[in-house]
Amino acid sequence: MIRRLGFLVSIALRHIARRKRQTAVAVSGVAVGVGFFLAVSSLMVGSQNDFIRQMIDVAPHIIVSDELRSPPPQPGTRVFEGGAVAMHGYKLRQEVRGIKDWQAILAAANAIPGAIASPSLTGGVTIQLGGHQEALAIVGVEPEIETRISTIEDQLKVGRLHDLETTQGGIIIGEELAQRLGVRVGDIVSASSSAAQARTLKIVGLFKRGNTLLSSGSGYVLLREAQSLLGRPFIINRIGIKLQDPYAAQAVAANLEARFGYKAQSWQERSSDLLSLLVTRNIIMYTVVSAILLVASFGIYTVVSTSISDKQKDIAILRSIGFSAADLQLIFVLEGILLAIVGVLAGWLLGYGLITLLGNLDLPVLDGNQIPIDRSPMQYAIAAGASLLAGSVAAWLPARKAAHVDPVDILRGAA
Amino acid sequence: MSEPLLETRSIGRTLPGPPPVMLVRDVSLTIEPGKFTTIVGPSGCGKSSLLYLLGMIDRPTSGELLFEGRAVSKLSGDARAKLRLQRLGFVFQFHFLLPEFSARENVMIPMQRLAKLSYEEIKARADALLGELGLEGKESKTPDKLSGGERQRVAIARALANDPALILGDEPTGNLDSRNSENVVEWLKRLAHEEGRAVACVTHDLDIAEQSDVRIEMLDGMIEKVHRK
Repeated sequence: MIRRLGFLVSIALRHIARRKRQTAVAVSGVAVGVGFFLAVSSLMVGSQNDFIRQMIDVAPHIIVSDELRSPPPQPGTRVFEGGAVAMHGYKLRQEVRGIKDWQAILAAANAIPGAIASPSLTGGVTIQLGGHQEALAIVGVEPEIETRISTIEDQLKVGRLHDLETTQGGIIIGEELAQRLGVRVGDIVSASSSAAQARTLKIVGLFKRGNTLLSSGSGYVLLREAQSLLGRPFIINRIGIKLQDPYAAQAVAANLEARFGYKAQSWQERSSDLLSLLVTRNIIMYTVVSAILLVASFGIYTVVSTSISDKQKDIAILRSIGFSAADLQLIFVLEGILLAIVGVLAGWLLGYGLITLLGNLDLPVLDGNQIPIDRSPMQYAIAAGASLLAGSVAAWLPARKAAHVDPVDILRGAA
Repeated sequence: MSEPLLETRSIGRTLPGPPPVMLVRDVSLTIEPGKFTTIVGPSGCGKSSLLYLLGMIDRPTSGELLFEGRAVSKLSGDARAKLRLQRLGFVFQFHFLLPEFSARENVMIPMQRLAKLSYEEIKARADALLGELGLEGKESKTPDKLSGGERQRVAIARALANDPALILGDEPTGNLDSRNSENVVEWLKRLAHEEGRAVACVTHDLDIAEQSDVRIEMLDGMIEKVHRK
């Protein structure tokens, strides 16, 4: 069987070697298709991976907050459980905001292998310096744990998160805010909240994030500093969880929410609109790129089709020698596949060249970074698979004609 | 009379109309091993059509064809292709060599398709056949580099590749000068008389017909007369 295939391949090879110009056109069609597929998809996939990684890294994989998805049950239904009771206009019990029994949630999250949970308290304060006022969302964290779940440490331009522990009343703010306030590390600002007295904070670090809006409006302090600044001792309102496998976040979040009742949002849920945008982007890309590959396969169709028309006599002679109809069809399908293979190999080279070129581009918008490019062999495999499939189909369509050639018609016509 | 290799029982071949054309009608004949048989007749008498039926390239629309005692007209296309590959060899008026392949490769093709021998054995056999036919030194030449007579001898070597029991010729000398033509006929006779194969040729050359053991004369798709030596 393999020997027969090898023999038929050798016949197909002879056929295409004879038609050099047509072969070159068909092969370069496939090569250009594959090359640009690789360039485009490595860019798209690369930027998408980069984007998702940023999305995963920018915040904990799961954030448990002190919110509930549905309002708390009415007092009446608490008293008459299961009863058909509805009341209006009563005075609701004032609940202290914050996550109750957060130690239990923390313990449950830390029990997941490889997972790290970090408690924090977020609240709004006003920063004052001279006559200048800025609203700021402060995040009270335990530096020891927080550094392990977020990338904040990497984004610090000056100072370290641990400096919060060594400096009384230390705060880390964004570079943009510092610029607006005209302060530097070591300067003192005054902070106040609605719940507590104003106090002074010392700037111990500056961070920069890609998102200017985010980085200009938030600041990091010690957890207990935040608790006292916001007048909420012992309270936290957020637990950030980092998982070993970010893609398990949805399941873990659902589990935690079911167990403790607090809203647990996975990163996928938080960025579902962006993720669906990526899906749309991928659909567009693969449509365009498949069209390129499809058009490239038209060249193969033409070559195989002409080859069959030119080789009617040879087909008749091979049939009379004792080749089966399937043999003949296979010879011409193999011609198409061989063209596709050569095209794919040339396309790989072209694609590799284009990717290398793109990877070395130094664009000013990237701030010295390189374009994120996916160089995984997966792209090469997809391009090859799609081209070979398209090439086989493009060859198979005319090749059926070769199988149906009636040798008698040809022999009689030639005699 | 020896056991026939091939036998036809009232075979006919009609091209579907309209109007239907009867190419061959009610032909019963036998082709015997060791005999050189010719089929003669005027143009359009159906002799080539008959040859295609005998060669299992075409199927009769009526009657039955027996090859080595086995009814073959209802066999599948693949089974008939396999029979042709193993037991039959064709020589046509136009050599019909594959232009991309050298003389040696053309002879190797049927053997490679059959795949009974190793590549080396196939190559050696091709060279031996070409040598026997006086084509030593021309093995690597492509058909366009060979003369008409040489091409036809390569075609004979190819027909002999799988050691067939039956050799069929469709005007095998039709395109050759008299010297080359004589040479080819000598070969066909040798294959029948010395190697015991059945050889059947369609020809309009009466000199060749004269030299055959069995001469079948056809007219209007029917056998008119059979001469035996």
